[in-house]
Amino acid sequence: MFDVAGLWHGFQIAATPVNLMWGLIGCALGTAVGVLPGLGPAATIALLLPISMKMGSPVTAIILMSGIFYGAMYGGSTTSILLKIPGEAASVVTCIDGYEMAKSGRAGAALGVAAIGSFIAGTIGLIGLTMMAPPLAEAALKFGPSEYFSLTVLGLLLATYLTGESALKGLTMAIVGLILGCMGLDPLSGAVRFDFGVADLQSNLDFVTLAMGLFGVGEILYSLEKSGTASILTTRIENVFPKLADLTRSGWSMVRGSVIGFLVGILPGGGAVLSSLISYAVEKKASKHPEEFGHGAIEGVAGPESANNAAASSSFIPLLTLGIPGNASTAMIFAALLIHGITPGPFLLKEHADVFWGVVASMYIGNVMLLILNLPLIGIWVQLLRVPYSFLAPLIMVLTLVGVYSVNNNVFDIWVMLVMGVFGYVARKLKFDLGPLLLAFVLGPIMERSLRQALLMSNGDGSVFFTRPISGSLMAIAIAFVLYNLWAARKKNRAARAVASSEAAK
Amino acid sequence: MHKRIWTVLATALGMFVAATNGLAAYPEKPIQLIVPYGAGGSTDLLARAIATVAPKYFPQPLVVVNKGGGGGIPGRVDVVRSKADGYTLLFGWGSGEDLVVPHQRKLPYDLFTDFETVCRMSIHSIALAVPASSPHKSLADLVKAAKSKEYVTASVSTKGASVDVTFLLFGKAAGIKVTTIPGAGGADAITKLVGGHVDFGGGHPSEILPHMKAGRLRALAVALEQRDASIPDVPTFKESGYDVVTAGSVKGVAAPKGTPPEVIAYLEKKFKEVSEDAEFKKIMSDLGQPVNYMNAAEYKVWFKQAYDQFGLLYKTLGIETK
Repeated sequence: MFDVAGLWHGFQIAATPVNLMWGLIGCALGTAVGVLPGLGPAATIALLLPISMKMGSPVTAIILMSGIFYGAMYGGSTTSILLKIPGEAASVVTCIDGYEMAKSGRAGAALGVAAIGSFIAGTIGLIGLTMMAPPLAEAALKFGPSEYFSLTVLGLLLATYLTGESALKGLTMAIVGLILGCMGLDPLSGAVRFDFGVADLQSNLDFVTLAMGLFGVGEILYSLEKSGTASILTTRIENVFPKLADLTRSGWSMVRGSVIGFLVGILPGGGAVLSSLISYAVEKKASKHPEEFGHGAIEGVAGPESANNAAASSSFIPLLTLGIPGNASTAMIFAALLIHGITPGPFLLKEHADVFWGVVASMYIGNVMLLILNLPLIGIWVQLLRVPYSFLAPLIMVLTLVGVYSVNNNVFDIWVMLVMGVFGYVARKLKFDLGPLLLAFVLGPIMERSLRQALLMSNGDGSVFFTRPISGSLMAIAIAFVLYNLWAARKKNRAARAVASSEAAK
Repeated sequence: MHKRIWTVLATALGMFVAATNGLAAYPEKPIQLIVPYGAGGSTDLLARAIATVAPKYFPQPLVVVNKGGGGGIPGRVDVVRSKADGYTLLFGWGSGEDLVVPHQRKLPYDLFTDFETVCRMSIHSIALAVPASSPHKSLADLVKAAKSKEYVTASVSTKGASVDVTFLLFGKAAGIKVTTIPGAGGADAITKLVGGHVDFGGGHPSEILPHMKAGRLRALAVALEQRDASIPDVPTFKESGYDVVTAGSVKGVAAPKGTPPEVIAYLEKKFKEVSEDAEFKKIMSDLGQPVNYMNAAEYKVWFKQAYDQFGLLYKTLGIETK
């Protein structure tokens, strides 16, 4: 069950000076972008993709990127608590009670509980990853084209419905992503599609270019709208080591958050954001003091902050065993693995054991690094909030332009990135979530290929998606999910109409 | 008097031209081997094996440069556009992009007039394999079982690529209907095969050898005239009674058109020495890649034949070309 030899081998790789250094850089960078509102882990990993290509070893590159991903889960809470602005999407709910705690002078306790909860949950998530990935990789061989198709359908549906505020907006973005994913070479026959007679569009759109445009340029433009710096509640942080009473009160919240985060993180399309929302709801129900929620309940910080870290760890499971990324950040890591000639999937663990165990072990080490970075050193990160965006934005912009050009040395890519950047900006302004777009762009070709392969194998008989046990179950979940959401939306509509008509009657 | 000065000047100029052409001193700087695919693929591994032993034979290092993406086309375009001075070479000349793809679509260069052939280093044959759990121990078993079914499925790397063509040819020779399932490249096709989602599949020995060693796959036949040195226990299709011989995927070296013949001759000779090196042979057998050296003149003729054969197969098998 627990591959001690494998993990030990991983620690030997992760503990080499070079990998330790990049792990630390990743964690520190992750904390920094987590703290800074406006720049998330997905955007940061996108900006670093060109650099990772120049790194000789794929292990080192993935250690750096995963460090940014789970490091941001730590950093995000800081801004939520001190500014009531989520530093990172997965820390949205932490704003509610974290900020209230800070207002009543308990910023230290909130930050401390968030960091400790993150550490415990991150580590629990990793233990789960260590135990579950090898048997799942074995089981993943059972996944043929029909199973992959059903899984990607389910994943896209979940991502569409759950990440944003509106399912319709999510669906719109997913469709845009699917269309962009269709451009270039047909995944089966190699025929050219949607090139509009432009030679540069004959190969598929480059993931790095797209991601850097949507997330990098788009986020910079969006953040520029908010002028000036927000006022920080307090820069003096005291008592970050929580009192025993705080810990006993939030201990179970951390455990519950970890379990919720782990389970939600495994779902394709699930992940950190969703798990923190669910955890908050669960904590409110489970608490003995539900009336305190919204007024500085420590459980409302401990639960969600634990959940998003456990989800960050467990979202590596579908990525590394099935080759199915579940969120924007793991989609970036998926691309980075491909760039290094490693296909994420059932054989990654067998053929690239170094990469798998090296990265997993580095995450154990990274969580310890992050605990140190976020407890005793928290003051440094708070200072980061004082750097004016007018310095940061141009710097990031230059890095983006140079970075995207360096990938293929092609000026055309810069134009594509800028167009995507403007698109990303407009989409964010209209409150469209870009996550489903990017996921659809990655999953779309897998989905199309699996669909066509399955139909070729069955001689055109579409019932295979429902009659094969794994595929059928996934499809049933997907259908039930859509029906439930339609039903819930209808109920909500009726209730709203009832309220409206009763008000009209008055 | 004047005449003599002119003679001296002309001689000096001649020497100068010869010197600047780098003929006398070639190579005086590192030689780039452009691999038009990503790092870690079979072509890249072969190029790196050559670069490893090259210092024994070349006074300058051979540097492997990966210019992947775009189905191997952009890397080739780069070589065509680079200076014909012998410092930029294409590695992988004779792969599917050269033998097969030109039958499907128009490429931004001319296969026969834009390159100078240098030599052939290896042939990656195509082997047919079944999952270890499959009841079939030989091609005869497979064909017998297939005849009682409407059709059999085979996973292949991409549609119209050499593996696809080979299996369709096998179906025709054996009188069975083979439905090929194209994937996202070799690795994807092999994963489906190992998972038992298709009746058979296959690819180059370097792709299936790790799975054969791990007991996950069993190779039944190889589509060459003689057995493949990297999997010597596997019989050829011909030995089993089916006339299926294809060129597979070939790994050769080419230079941009206009590279001086002296440079080509030099490279030809040096690559031959590399191909006979014991250390190189050892690395290659570990990689599951056979060494099949051929000089420029022989390879040029052989390549044209292989190219024409694929064109003919496209027609007889009715594969759509556009």
